[in-house]
Amino acid sequence: MSLRRVGVLLGKEFRHGSKSFIFIIAIIMPLLLSLVLSLVFGNLFSEKPRLGVSDEGDSQITSLITESDSLVGREYDSPEELRKAVEDGALDMGIVLPSDFDNLVIQGEMTEITAYVWGESLAKDRIVLAATIANMIRDVAGQEVPVEIVTTTLGDAETIPWDDRILPIIVLLAIVFGGIMVPATSLVDEKQKRTLSAIAVTPTSLGEIFLSKGLVGVIISTFMGVLVLVLNQAFGIQTPLLIGMLVLGAVMASTFGIMLGAFIKDITSLFAVNKAIGILYYAPAFVYLFPDIPQWVGRIFPTYYIVQPVVVISQQGGTWSDIALEVFVLVGLILVMIGIVGVLARRTAQREALA
Amino acid sequence: MSWSIIQALVAKDLRLFFRNRFFAYISIVGIAFYIGIYFLMPSSLDEALDIGLYAPVLPPVFEQVQGEGLSVELVDLMENLEKGVTEGRYLAGIALPPDIMEKLATGSKVTVDVYFAADTPEELKDAVTNLIEELAYMQSGQILAVDISEEIIGPDMLGKQIPPRNRILPFFAIFIILTETLGLSSLISEEIESRTAQALLITPMTVKGLFLAKGITGVSLAFGQALLFMVATGGLNQQPLIILVTLLLASLLVTGIGFLLGSAGKDLMSVMAWGLPAMIVLAVPAFGVMFPGTVSDWVKAIPSYYLVDTVHLSANFGLGWVGVWQNLLILLGFDIAFIGLGIIALRRKLT
Repeated sequence: MSLRRVGVLLGKEFRHGSKSFIFIIAIIMPLLLSLVLSLVFGNLFSEKPRLGVSDEGDSQITSLITESDSLVGREYDSPEELRKAVEDGALDMGIVLPSDFDNLVIQGEMTEITAYVWGESLAKDRIVLAATIANMIRDVAGQEVPVEIVTTTLGDAETIPWDDRILPIIVLLAIVFGGIMVPATSLVDEKQKRTLSAIAVTPTSLGEIFLSKGLVGVIISTFMGVLVLVLNQAFGIQTPLLIGMLVLGAVMASTFGIMLGAFIKDITSLFAVNKAIGILYYAPAFVYLFPDIPQWVGRIFPTYYIVQPVVVISQQGGTWSDIALEVFVLVGLILVMIGIVGVLARRTAQREALA
Repeated sequence: MSWSIIQALVAKDLRLFFRNRFFAYISIVGIAFYIGIYFLMPSSLDEALDIGLYAPVLPPVFEQVQGEGLSVELVDLMENLEKGVTEGRYLAGIALPPDIMEKLATGSKVTVDVYFAADTPEELKDAVTNLIEELAYMQSGQILAVDISEEIIGPDMLGKQIPPRNRILPFFAIFIILTETLGLSSLISEEIESRTAQALLITPMTVKGLFLAKGITGVSLAFGQALLFMVATGGLNQQPLIILVTLLLASLLVTGIGFLLGSAGKDLMSVMAWGLPAMIVLAVPAFGVMFPGTVSDWVKAIPSYYLVDTVHLSANFGLGWVGVWQNLLILLGFDIAFIGLGIIALRRKLT
């Protein structure tokens, strides 16, 4: 194997490959999805009930609602806008406060407020919001709470914020998509254009071609992994260890991409494979998203061994000893895949030489 | 336009699809995965806050609110209350003092112990605290001088909420259909790239016939796979005819888009690359069903909205023709527009 030839091929991959759509999508898609998932889904998965208010006066209730930490509160300019938001399902409940509401409440005069309730809102959200609104009104009215509540926390389990739960899927998207698709599509494209057969008659070996294409995937994948972690402020303090894990993850993804590229004949089949098994790449992330799923389920999927060490290092401040087992499994999986790629390379070389 | 030639071309394309055993197998495996994921998702939704209550004397207010989003289970021992909270059976455990009724009657402040598991989110702790305070107000006879008049907007789904897997059903259906956009566009692009389409046109096959043949292939593949998925998941249990018509119209839509993509891309790779962003845009309306309120009215400009909305309304709410005819009409309009545009673009590419 000539490193010089690998370098030349690598340069060619970056020069020509970087103009391909897949290359661009491998960079744009993880960033876009990372942004969308962080901004939108962070709130979507929140279990906080959503309460809207349209205030025809200047009630204290409005600021209590919008500033509350226990619900998602929004103010609307008119009852019509509020009603529309409830109708669209953007709110579980919306209340319209009449003008001079606070004074009426303080004076103890009977008053009426309208509450729009979204038909699909959960019963528990309705009761919680009703109790919260009532509490706020009593607060404004100056009623004294008849109970003192003493809370006790049991057990040592920790709340996992949604931002943390979403990080694994963002990391997997960044590492896996580019790592697999860039080398796989490049290889399949060469097969379809029969340029692979042309190279087979030069001194360049198929191993060198595979290596150069794999390296492109590793570089893009690692770069995207680092970028996504930086953007999500999740780099932690063990920087070299984390980068090492991202590189290993990228190697695994790229090796799999080369395997697919060597095995599959045309681009349509490649996309069909991704359509069918793509969900398995990201399956471990769902275990993080929903902690009710037994954590051992994640271990079934090879990409777990990429994401788990990243999560341990970046979110839990883990060190080498915390991730050693996963790293060994990951290295083992990579070696097995490289072995398979070796066999596929020999077969492909024979086939291309015959072609 | 000869039907026998069209028939032969459709048969050839379908044979090619199934002759590539790997491709055919992987398509079926893909649908099997989606079906599997559907059945793995929760089939019901827990609407109530599960509360454990240790109360030597039970205040009547707890009986009144039982069932209204609150599921209160009485426990006989404090140990059982703590165990229930730790094991996650109760969101919170409430321990009331034996003299609660006397204290509330005399206006003295009552101390209530509330137990939470360590991983209970703060907002749920606040929610339970607010609830207990409100129940205490009610029990002590402090009336709220506000009459809250409730208006339910939309069908009241209390007690019959749509489980997560049924919310994701339109997303899967549309995703399966959309994927065939790529299949069809690659089929067309392949024919253009290898110049077999041009070769076909010097035979008695006309351009119209070619479109029709490719269209029938595209619709059959998209419709067939979506139908298989909907049958397996029970998605046709309500309003099957409406859903079938919707899937058929959706298949026509992706066929039109497939024509456009097939003519826009210069090779298979660029067709795939253009197809992915198109798929993402077309999948956006499905998020509005999965996460209501996240998308605003602009989503109605995306043709797939009318597919997703109709499947959601019919499969999850049982809405009939009266409720969805406008959606179907708009979807048909989009079908005609996209097929027309696709044909014009392809014709220009071929001639």
